[in-house]
Amino acid sequence: MSTLASGPTIAGTRGSLVADGRIGLLPLAVVLAQLAIVALVLRQFQIESAAFLRVALLAFAGFAVHAVLPLRHRLSFFLALSLAGIGLALGVVNALWLVTLGLILIGICHLPIGFSFRVSLLVAVGIALALLRVEWLRAPWPAAIWPILGSMFMFRLIVYLYDLRHEPAPPTFVRTLTYFFMLPNACFPLFPVIDYKTFRRNYFDADAYRIYQTGVDWIVRGVIHLLLYRFVYYYLTLAPSEVRGPSDFAQYVVANFLLYLRVSGLFHLVVGMLYLFGFRLPETHHQYLLASSFTDFWRRINIYWKDFMLKIFYYPAYFRLRKAGPTVALVASTLFVFVMTWFLHAYQWFWLRGTALLVWQDVLFWTILGGVVVVNAVYEDRHGRARSLGKRSRDWRSLLGLTLRTLATFTAICILWSFWTSESITEWLSLWSALAGPFTVEAGHALVLVTVLVVIGGTLRANARGGDMPSNAPPPVGRTPGRHVLAVRAVTVAGLGALIVLGVQPIYTQFGPEIASTIQSLRSGRLSRLDNAKLERGYYENLLQVDRFNSQLWEVYTKRPAHWLDIQGGGLKRFTGDFAQEELKPSFTATTNYGTMSTNRWGMRDQDYELKPAPGVFRMALLGPSNVMGWGVADGQTFEAIVEARLNDGVAGLPHAKYEILNFGVPGYQPPQELVAAEKAIGFAPQAMLYVATGRELSRAASYMIEAVNKKLDIPYPGLRELMAKAGIVPGTEEATGLKRLEPYRSELLGFVYRRIADETRRSGAVPVWIFLPQVTQGAWQEETPEQTRLAREAGFVVIDLSDVYEGQDLASVRLAEWDEHPNVRGHQLIATRLLDALEANRAAIFRAARQ
Amino acid sequence: MTEIGNTVKQFILTEFLPGEDPGELTETTPLITGGILDSLATMKLIMFLEERYGITMQAHEADAEHLDTVAQIEQLVQSKQQRSR
Repeated sequence: MSTLASGPTIAGTRGSLVADGRIGLLPLAVVLAQLAIVALVLRQFQIESAAFLRVALLAFAGFAVHAVLPLRHRLSFFLALSLAGIGLALGVVNALWLVTLGLILIGICHLPIGFSFRVSLLVAVGIALALLRVEWLRAPWPAAIWPILGSMFMFRLIVYLYDLRHEPAPPTFVRTLTYFFMLPNACFPLFPVIDYKTFRRNYFDADAYRIYQTGVDWIVRGVIHLLLYRFVYYYLTLAPSEVRGPSDFAQYVVANFLLYLRVSGLFHLVVGMLYLFGFRLPETHHQYLLASSFTDFWRRINIYWKDFMLKIFYYPAYFRLRKAGPTVALVASTLFVFVMTWFLHAYQWFWLRGTALLVWQDVLFWTILGGVVVVNAVYEDRHGRARSLGKRSRDWRSLLGLTLRTLATFTAICILWSFWTSESITEWLSLWSALAGPFTVEAGHALVLVTVLVVIGGTLRANARGGDMPSNAPPPVGRTPGRHVLAVRAVTVAGLGALIVLGVQPIYTQFGPEIASTIQSLRSGRLSRLDNAKLERGYYENLLQVDRFNSQLWEVYTKRPAHWLDIQGGGLKRFTGDFAQEELKPSFTATTNYGTMSTNRWGMRDQDYELKPAPGVFRMALLGPSNVMGWGVADGQTFEAIVEARLNDGVAGLPHAKYEILNFGVPGYQPPQELVAAEKAIGFAPQAMLYVATGRELSRAASYMIEAVNKKLDIPYPGLRELMAKAGIVPGTEEATGLKRLEPYRSELLGFVYRRIADETRRSGAVPVWIFLPQVTQGAWQEETPEQTRLAREAGFVVIDLSDVYEGQDLASVRLAEWDEHPNVRGHQLIATRLLDALEANRAAIFRAARQ
Repeated sequence: MTEIGNTVKQFILTEFLPGEDPGELTETTPLITGGILDSLATMKLIMFLEERYGITMQAHEADAEHLDTVAQIEQLVQSKQQRSR
């Protein structure tokens, strides 16, 4: 029978000062002062989420109390703080559910039945939870708790069970709960796999001040990593279609890999916070950018994962296989570790995101990495590797060798990483054509810069004490801190000071507009231009398309409730088999959580109309995508319906007694598809054709044409067919390659679409009107607005620019949600008011005699 | 340091720290947590201990709690030898 012993155990027998965790008043004040500055920095730079800031403040305030409590009460206090943190981060109801489910899982571990029965029961419960996760069964608890519940239990339960099996002393109730519910976890679905034994063993096993100060050092290091990550994420990442030459290629692969700074930053933050409560845990990462071989890389990056794999999979496998010989055992166990890493990565994905992860890039990445680590490991086993107890001296030859090996490893890892994070194998292969492009001066500069950084880093690493491998050895009791420790302290203080100073607007604006803008941008977390583009393209529907392990976009969508505004499954659209591929189904009705959504007999999201307007009616046709159709608002709440109603209420100065606006908006329609919509609309004899353009008309038109060619759709416009041929877009063209080829023809493509719609509209006797409707949030999508506006004027549209429609508004009050930028009811009202004003201002050009 | 401790220390110096000052390797020098012994080295150490002292190690004993210092290794070997008598 497995029991939980009562009362916390005190680790360490290293002297009374260490064992009672005491700290003097002055050192405590020093730590608290640093934490106060850290809190300011977290707030100033909006590090992570608002929930994290609340939890961090709770942690820092709790630390002040915790540090003066008698040691025997600290673990319980930390547990109480952790539970409070869960409530603060998730809300009380979610917290109660999470803790209840957690207690059930922990309780199963300690049932008075055989170990294998407990494991079987946990597996059965796990299967049930999995069915609930994919919503095959309906869970009574909110979906919001899944990522955190998964994060707390999916790996730690494995470690805990393993130690339960092999540890002679039973764990205590308080320590067990603390292990699973530990304070920062409530904010972070991605969390290091903390080893239970280490968690228990290293608790206040060194001087308290040293532990706390190391915690502060790591928190600051984590913040710096996160800010560096932001810089890379905003300014250095490229879309595959933007990789045109060797320097772009280098920037693409390096920036992609450097996005990992988010993980290393978060993990440093998390473990640093745990240090504040006495848990002297190992480093999570150790100079992984300076790895000089694949096995070295494996040892330095996500050390907790490596240790978890060693403990649970590698050593047990090796022990079983060693009768076959050391080399066979080594190779087989190492490969086993990488197979399990691949599997557990998919397992993690499942619990965090609720979907399966089966992509070839994952399989190949772990296979290749596993293979090279095996080769490296066998080599090391045969030839050994350099280790040192003290500071190692190196001559220039060995330093050169280390530098070259580090450069080669870094390059190989960046390339492998780019493969892993690519959306498809063909997309990754298309990147390599950029190496045939012109080798620019920038590429040379980048190469020199990277080499210099590697040399500096390698030198520092080579001169580090103890062979430069990560160390979690407890510092000697009573000895004054060495130079290395003082150097780290200096970096912490300098880093904090620099961040505080740089974060103050009157100071950073002194550095000129460019630097000031950069610093300003780093002061908030937002989506990068690439992720914003994905948002616009509707990639969120398939989370697998989102960067698979480091995604701000995903974090936006984890907040999205299941079945958010879901009506697609109810059959809103139908396939047409033509160039537009789909249209709204006629006579459709659905009740959604935002009201009724219905279409008329013609397949318009609108009231019913006759095919031809009655005499004296001024009819307008409205073309556009989902924001025109009225995604997220009920029938009658769309801006089109509001404008029509107000026109018919009598707007002073407008000549006609009755107005009709026929809503031909279709969600997901791109500019080329509007050609088909316009032809359909002309059949209803409008006197004005209102084409609503949003952001990225040029990019979206190009993407759609590549899709059309790849799907071998019949393209009924000779001009478009000729353009595709001229650009070399043929069936099978990978999207990134196609976008690069179409780049010189984007304006010609969109210009063709606009001219065609405008010409056909005029030929039918109607007035073509182009309306620019911006996204709610500003972003990089605005880059294309001037060019698309120019093309619209050139095509002869009457141009109406609504780019100021949301100016001065609280954006959260006009959009549906953080993860859905469509305008809400209020947003549609604003658009309607602004559009009415614009129609009135252009009445001479638009409102001619109604048909008789 | 006992004979076991000296033998283990000698093995570690010869196998993993050639050319290093033997005085730097003490009974309490952290081996696993100090980054001296990685997984390959740990398994080599385990196989040496098993062969040399006729003990049997378990997978869950290949960790810092049991093998982090020469003193801990010594203690582990002695306890296993006593249990097998």
